[in-house]
Amino acid sequence: MSERRRCRLKAGTSDDLVDAVLVEELTKDDLLKAHLDWAPVRIEALRRLYDAKVRWPEHWHWDWSKKADMLDLLAYRCMGIECEGQTQGLLMVSTIAGKSRLVEQLGKAVLYIEFVESAPWNLRDLVERPKFLGVGVALLEAAIEFSTTEGFGGRIGLHSLPQSEPFYRRYMTDLGPDAGHSEGLRYFEMSADQMRYFLEGRK
Amino acid sequence: MSNEVTKRTMTLNLTEAEMQALESISVQKDLSKTAVIRQALRLYQLVDHRLAKGEKLFFEDEAKREKAELMVMI
Repeated sequence: MSERRRCRLKAGTSDDLVDAVLVEELTKDDLLKAHLDWAPVRIEALRRLYDAKVRWPEHWHWDWSKKADMLDLLAYRCMGIECEGQTQGLLMVSTIAGKSRLVEQLGKAVLYIEFVESAPWNLRDLVERPKFLGVGVALLEAAIEFSTTEGFGGRIGLHSLPQSEPFYRRYMTDLGPDAGHSEGLRYFEMSADQMRYFLEGRK
Repeated sequence: MSNEVTKRTMTLNLTEAEMQALESISVQKDLSKTAVIRQALRLYQLVDHRLAKGEKLFFEDEAKREKAELMVMI
């Protein structure tokens, strides 16, 4: 299994495709480095939004350095996309299979996505001109591939923050608010058909 | 960002009943036997970690309004 694979992102300014690297298993150090890299940019952007009286993104408080300890356990895996020497996005998944809630694949193993985030300089909510586009989609693709490797058939599921719901509705089935979730977030899952359609679109 | 993951092979000695249970779960969950063993190890480690932190593990039957703590020796 290759630990570093080539993937592609779009340059935010020119729409040109650029080569990036998907790192399939990050260490705690990698997360700490990414946090140190992201934090100043995030704080500066939040300050601008505050001054402009614009609402902050719902995940503004995420701190990947605090999630790093999860990697002490086999139950979690973190992947990242690297480009131009910086981490452009992070993905944390649970390696303990979830159970599918979609009728057509009810009860089958699903890879659950705990957290997914693009670097602050790639977020339209935070910067006027994102540096790179397509980070979230590339990370979803990485999750599908990992799900396949794990024997979960490429099935993935997640709870979405309200601001990200439109993004996930493009690729996944919205199964509505989850009464069992601590924040009552909506649960999304990707079916096998949706996965094939998604991967076709990535070719 | 760099690290190498190497996989190691081991022989697993199971009783007939244990192998039957493994095969049954493998079929039921549509996972390979290796994947089932991996799942068990990940779950075991996670439960152990949370119990060590002082958390408790419960099974709850909402219909019967029963809740029982699972006492495990890990």
